[in-house]
Amino acid sequence: VNAEVLVVDDEEVVRKAVERILAQDGLRVVAAGTAREALAHPALADCRLVLCDLMLPDLSGVEVLRSLRERRPGLPVVMMTGYVTAANASRALEQGAAGFLPKPFDESELRAAVAGALAERGGREERLP
Amino acid sequence: MRTRIGTRVIVAVSLATALTAGLTVVLVVRTHRSDQVAEVARSVEQLSETIKSSTHYDMLENRRESLHRQIEAIGRQEGIEAVRVFNREGRIVFSSEPSEIGSAVDKRAEACDACHAEGRPLERLPQSARSRTFTAADGHRVLGTINPIHNEPGCASAACHAHDSRDTVLGVLDVSVSLADVDRNIARSQRRMAGLTAGALAASGLLLWWLNRSLVLRPVSALVAATRRIAEGDLTVTVPITAQHELGDLARAFNEMTRRLGEAQRQLTQADKLASVGRLAAGVAHEINNPLTGVLTFASLLLKQAEDPAVRDDLTVIVRETKRCRDIVRNLLDFARQSPPSRQSVDLNEVVRRAVTIMMNQLSLDRIALTLDLSPELPPLLADGAQIQQVVVNLLVNAADAVATGGGEIRLATREARLAAWGHAAIRGATCARGCDLLDPEVRMAGLPSIRVTRNCAGRQDLLHLDPVYGRFNQVAAHPCDEDALASYQCPRCRVSLHEPSLRCERCAAPLFSVQVPGLDRILWCTRNGCHFSHWPPMDAAEPRRVAEIVVEDTGRGIAPSDLPHLFEPFYTTKGAGGTGLGLAVSWGIVEAHGGTLEVATEEGRGSRFTVRLPLERAAAEASPIGEGAAPAAA
Repeated sequence: VNAEVLVVDDEEVVRKAVERILAQDGLRVVAAGTAREALAHPALADCRLVLCDLMLPDLSGVEVLRSLRERRPGLPVVMMTGYVTAANASRALEQGAAGFLPKPFDESELRAAVAGALAERGGREERLP
Repeated sequence: MRTRIGTRVIVAVSLATALTAGLTVVLVVRTHRSDQVAEVARSVEQLSETIKSSTHYDMLENRRESLHRQIEAIGRQEGIEAVRVFNREGRIVFSSEPSEIGSAVDKRAEACDACHAEGRPLERLPQSARSRTFTAADGHRVLGTINPIHNEPGCASAACHAHDSRDTVLGVLDVSVSLADVDRNIARSQRRMAGLTAGALAASGLLLWWLNRSLVLRPVSALVAATRRIAEGDLTVTVPITAQHELGDLARAFNEMTRRLGEAQRQLTQADKLASVGRLAAGVAHEINNPLTGVLTFASLLLKQAEDPAVRDDLTVIVRETKRCRDIVRNLLDFARQSPPSRQSVDLNEVVRRAVTIMMNQLSLDRIALTLDLSPELPPLLADGAQIQQVVVNLLVNAADAVATGGGEIRLATREARLAAWGHAAIRGATCARGCDLLDPEVRMAGLPSIRVTRNCAGRQDLLHLDPVYGRFNQVAAHPCDEDALASYQCPRCRVSLHEPSLRCERCAAPLFSVQVPGLDRILWCTRNGCHFSHWPPMDAAEPRRVAEIVVEDTGRGIAPSDLPHLFEPFYTTKGAGGTGLGLAVSWGIVEAHGGTLEVATEEGRGSRFTVRLPLERAAAEASPIGEGAAPAAA
């Protein structure tokens, strides 16, 4: 089975939590700890969703988002961050993020964000009225 | 040595005045004295000539008895000291003092000196040289005039005695008069002038002292006292402006400086506090939210799987308290991030949609229906999109919380509106004519500092608080004032009258009073208590303002009237442990920094409506001396 969700976060506990919860829904999750690792990940070729932290040790999440938008314009990317500011939220949404998931989240919030992004994978331009 | 400026000026001016006045007195007295003496000399001269001509024939005919009688009679006249006739040898031949007759005078004596100084006597003398003054034995001054008796043709050929025809001067008539009267007069006028001068000096000194005290000393010591208080850290000081000259300007500039200093200090303190809170919060958020994610997700996973109700309860506590930690961190960040808006042209609907995207998860989780009603005609406006987005998110969070406990829906709308100043424009500065600040932050009306004036109504003095919102007439006073009473109004600080003597109420013709609005003329009110006439020239003339409105309406539980006044205070929350009490405070701050307003209409049990109004014109968006009266009002 191919990977369906790529989670990018430098914190292991976050990667583990996402894997555990989404696995219960039957989604196969692969993880990356840095932006470099994520952008080189083979799963990028055919995964259905990326969950990416805004602050990574090597690059910012917005830069990862930008390069993902170039390589796979239709791939929904949900941004996660522990430092929610209106500014970084709107910057991420301007760059075409499919959603915004503030940390810490519980399992139902994660599920809602993933379901929302997957259900409307065409991107937010088509999603909003 | 420390000497006051005023004292120095007074001493210097007094010295200069005393010197000038003294010199003047001396000169005047001296002139007066020489005039008087000259006058006496002239009259003695005349007298001497009169004696000479009236005794002429007695002399020619050698009637010695008659001569003696005449000279004695003249000598008895008041003021005449002595009348003498000397012969060529210096022997007194006639005198008003008979005992002297026959005695000789040395030609070197002072009376003779004028002619006999140079061995051979002069025969003719100028009039001025014939007079002399000397001090008599009893100390008073005497003026003596000698008058030479020349040899005339009749004298040499007279039958009685033979004067040699070769002699030119036969003798001398010496008349001396007392100068005691003259000297007394002069001394009297000298005393009078000295007295007058001393009086004038004292009066001018007193005037200088008084002027110095009222014009310089009082305002300067007020300034010095105020400066000391500022040095002690009290930046609320104002100096009463009591003068319309340079010191008044100085006081005005001083007050302005103090106000700006206070403002700068407040901003600095605030910025400093916010910056450190911000750094702390950002660090905390970053470090804490990842572990919290682990706790929250795994606890919620366990909660789902747990069968034992006791375990479920425990896990519920863990999940709830972790979420509380999350909210605390989040609100701390919001509060710390208060910064001046960086304005750009933004599409408000786009900002609102982004806020909705951020909130969508929570709303769908809570099964809250959100209706969007965004006006497509809304023009772009100058605003900080990120900050306005935060306001909308905060309002949506509150609406969701209110709805979740009561059940219902949220409506989010944008639209353009026109807003008349009447009932909305609120002043942000008010002063009396002398510049005293009249705004009172202690007594607020609908959240805004009121205008405080002193009212005299029916003989009772009272502090009256007026509504700062133009077109509203709320008043707060300790004592009632009759509706028809004509009250008088004063500045509570400097007591200057606030009345406008040249203006009358358009409705009832009563006098008007006013407060100055810096930069925007003044507001006028009728002094008749019940009249409710007010006029604000720039606002009465202004067109309705264009504003963009964001309305967040919910059918939740509403807000209790007792909570309304505290709604926008930081750390005030009705959510118990669930809220931090920062959301609305932050939103209020952001909206106000945009020159806009945040208004609440609410009814307990039926829902609330929050309306954000942002100015659409650029000019209005800049910091202006007026704002909108933001009124949390019960619907």
